[in-house]
Amino acid sequence: MAVFEPVLTRNVGRPEALTLKGYKQNGGYEGLAKALKMEPDAVIDEVKKSGLRGRGGAGFSAGLKWSFIPKGKDKPKYLVCNADESEPGTFKDRLLMEYDPHQLIEGCAICCWAVSAATCYIYIRGEYTKAAEILERALKDAYEGGILGDSVMGSGFKLNMYVHRGAGAYICGEETGMLESLEGKRGQPRVKPPFPAVVGAFGAPTVINNVETLANVPHIMVRGADWFKAIGTDERNTGPKLYAISGHVERPGTYEYPIGVTFREMLEGCGGMLKGRPLKAFIPGGASAPILKADQIDIKMDFDTVAKAGSMLGSAAVIVMDDTTCMVRSVSRLAKFFNHESCGQCTPCREGTNWLELMLKRIEHGEGTERDSQVLLSICSHIGGNSLCALGDAAIGPVQSLVKNFQEEIDQHIRDRACPFPHRRYFES
Amino acid sequence: MPKVTINDRTVEVAAGTNLVDAAIQAGVQIPHYCYHPRLSVVGQCRMCLVKIDGMPKLQAGCSTQVMKDGMVVRTDVPEVEEAQKGMMEFFLINHPLDCPICDQAGECGLQDYSFKHGVAYSRFQYEDKRTYPGRERIPLGGNVVLNMNRCIQCTRCVRFTQEVAGTGELGFFNRGARAEIGTFPGKELNNPLATCVVDICPVGALTSTRFRFAERVWYLDKKPSICTGCEVGCNITMEHRRGDIKRYKPRYNVEVNDYWMCDYGRSTHERYKKTPRLTTPRVRTEGGNGNGHTPFMASTWKDALDTLHGRLQAARGQGEIAFLGSAFLTCEEAYLFGKLADAAGSPHRSVPTDVGPAWTIPRFERPPIQGREQAPNRRGAELAGLAAGDGKTLTGEDLLQGDGAAQCEVLVVCDSDFGVGAYTPETVERLRRAKFLVVFGWADSPLAQVADIALPVSHHGEKDGTFVNVEWRVQRFERAFPPPGQTRAAVEALGDLLSRFDAAWAYQSPGKVFDRLAGELPAFAGLNWHDLPATGAALHVPGAVHSLSDQAAEAASEASS
Repeated sequence: MAVFEPVLTRNVGRPEALTLKGYKQNGGYEGLAKALKMEPDAVIDEVKKSGLRGRGGAGFSAGLKWSFIPKGKDKPKYLVCNADESEPGTFKDRLLMEYDPHQLIEGCAICCWAVSAATCYIYIRGEYTKAAEILERALKDAYEGGILGDSVMGSGFKLNMYVHRGAGAYICGEETGMLESLEGKRGQPRVKPPFPAVVGAFGAPTVINNVETLANVPHIMVRGADWFKAIGTDERNTGPKLYAISGHVERPGTYEYPIGVTFREMLEGCGGMLKGRPLKAFIPGGASAPILKADQIDIKMDFDTVAKAGSMLGSAAVIVMDDTTCMVRSVSRLAKFFNHESCGQCTPCREGTNWLELMLKRIEHGEGTERDSQVLLSICSHIGGNSLCALGDAAIGPVQSLVKNFQEEIDQHIRDRACPFPHRRYFES
Repeated sequence: MPKVTINDRTVEVAAGTNLVDAAIQAGVQIPHYCYHPRLSVVGQCRMCLVKIDGMPKLQAGCSTQVMKDGMVVRTDVPEVEEAQKGMMEFFLINHPLDCPICDQAGECGLQDYSFKHGVAYSRFQYEDKRTYPGRERIPLGGNVVLNMNRCIQCTRCVRFTQEVAGTGELGFFNRGARAEIGTFPGKELNNPLATCVVDICPVGALTSTRFRFAERVWYLDKKPSICTGCEVGCNITMEHRRGDIKRYKPRYNVEVNDYWMCDYGRSTHERYKKTPRLTTPRVRTEGGNGNGHTPFMASTWKDALDTLHGRLQAARGQGEIAFLGSAFLTCEEAYLFGKLADAAGSPHRSVPTDVGPAWTIPRFERPPIQGREQAPNRRGAELAGLAAGDGKTLTGEDLLQGDGAAQCEVLVVCDSDFGVGAYTPETVERLRRAKFLVVFGWADSPLAQVADIALPVSHHGEKDGTFVNVEWRVQRFERAFPPPGQTRAAVEALGDLLSRFDAAWAYQSPGKVFDRLAGELPAFAGLNWHDLPATGAALHVPGAVHSLSDQAAEAASEASS
């Protein structure tokens, strides 16, 4: 593979980029300057043309999302940057915020210009104290440097940006749950429609974008949509992408690749499997993505290919598992997470995730029965598509893939009346 | 207005109507728990999932609005039925299924939908049910008890306190399967409308301390009635078992009380148990000293009314004859009582009322309705012929606070339960100053005990009639059960008595009296008993204000001038 020059992570390893001056040295805020000279609609068109898709999980076209914001000045408009990165296995936004906060601020400012929003909230996960502090400092710098405030870079465009810290709930990463939390209410999703683009934060039209999505925007502005489109597999999967790789690999971490890199290349890039043990399964897109088997190793890691393989790219948090992993135990741990993080509002998610956890735990403890797999699938089908927000759909992904791809392992648990895997911590030799 | 087709039935609804309401108009039931027409739509019980043509997933009926023509909805397709089955299973896996000891059994949303949409077996056999140890009987306030184990987290109660009562004592705490309802720290569910959360709770999680363990609901007989707590006249369902009233529940009337009623109103039936009943006509024997120290003799209605008729005839010209009515009388009773006063040739008639704290009921798209008089029908009684005269007559005040009774040859009180005054010794003593005291009443109250003639008449659960509320709306209510012993409806008794003056008055019934009164009084013009709408009818009273907001404006302008 040709050497890929990092785009989003170009300032990682340059501590001076944390300051406004240092960031500007490397071409910082040129994208914003360029955007301010363009008409807002032209900015939206450029982003649309680039094919940038949301990096938060759903993969919705960012430019299209911006174009849904109603024109007109009767209501204030908001941009909320979703920095509530809580999907298990995902740690890409944290890197962007801790190493290159100005890149995010620039992206936010361009988006605000494009949709004429005068206020931007960066809703950051409560646990990310360091990133929040760095962002706060960068915001202060940006205000002092004339980037934000009453006249953005001297253009007369008024923009205020705030860091809003969450209190630690997965559900506040769901866009409407985040809006509720931002408004000071209990963080639980709203019924849609109306969508946030029409009725969002404080009843006003609101754009909600992931950190990585917005971090891409300055580069599209500077280098153009055509450059962006050239990276990636095809028309629908464009641009650079951060992959957070964890699990049984030699060097876990966040890696930047053009979108559509194969899983095999990625695995090689991080030093291969831990201690050279064989690959058993991997989760391509965070806890809510269905698990893929080792035979999918050559899959291209882009939105459409992964979806075709029956999983989803999601937040591109790749969790790698070797042959010492008990799949039932892993999935039961994931089910526990979703049960713990369900907001308790809607019935299928509240009751269903709880039941899934109890059942998987029972199977893991060797108390499963023959019909359990079928009941698991049936519960999943009752949750799937029927819940209020996407958490229900997320919770069933791993379970369905467990039954589909690893049925023999469930059977073994039931037959042996115990877990066939020794329960040891994975980093022991 | 857009048209929507639900299960092949097309119906035209107002734009913005949600599918649950539209389906009701089309004659289709979409099951739902969390949706309530007066509460915000949260779409969280997921019971109302329906199939809409052109949508890939099932949609929640409550949060889907009909905006334009051509929406085609189905609730009878296998995928919807499967989803409903799934939801019912989810509701029940962690529900204690303690129907045999649950107050809600018989009127429970879980039972109903489980029967209609659920499955008869459980697949939740190996796991433990989620419970909330120590939260099985939490008093949320004075009138409401919470059993968290039975809760299905529909949050109707939470939204009620936030959006209707406006007090916000209740909150939704914790997450996921451990989510629970509770009061915020330091708060108690003690607002005047608190018990409404029990009515809107679809399951047995919230129960009323008044009704808890009082009766299995399938033994209750229910009749539409009117609350007598104050002049608002909340529409209620009187629920009783063989004449023992167990509870009042609000009955929907958008013009008066919407879906709600206050806790005070719910407690008003307790008065019928507090005071012993008068069940036999009683006439004091001759030869006593006339001061309440001679023994009573049980009598018959005929003898008692003959005696009374004789006294009224004899008293004419001898001294004053006063008629003290009550704001608890129905319009029909008040009308006949007025006619009795006419027949006795007396100008002295009045309706005493107690004015107390204001009871307020919030309403939909209307200003809240408020009642200060602690009786249901002062307006109706006065309209029907008991309005006090020109200032020279004996008023309720003269009789109750002054020495008016001493001038009376005969004083007729109907009924004895006219207010707090009926039970205070001073008032009883003042009224007893009359030479001859006649008391109609359901209660064997202190006043009835000192009366020369005490006549048992039915209370409002035992009679038909109409009340006129604070906004001049006349509302009809029905007899729920027969009166005990020799008790008669006051309309019957008064008619009987009047027929002794003029035979044409024999055999009265509330319907007959109402029609007569409607023909006679301009305020009631055009109304008749049979066609009186279930929601009541506004009266044509000159200068009447039908809405409290107007009344308040008037009071404000009066105060400033």
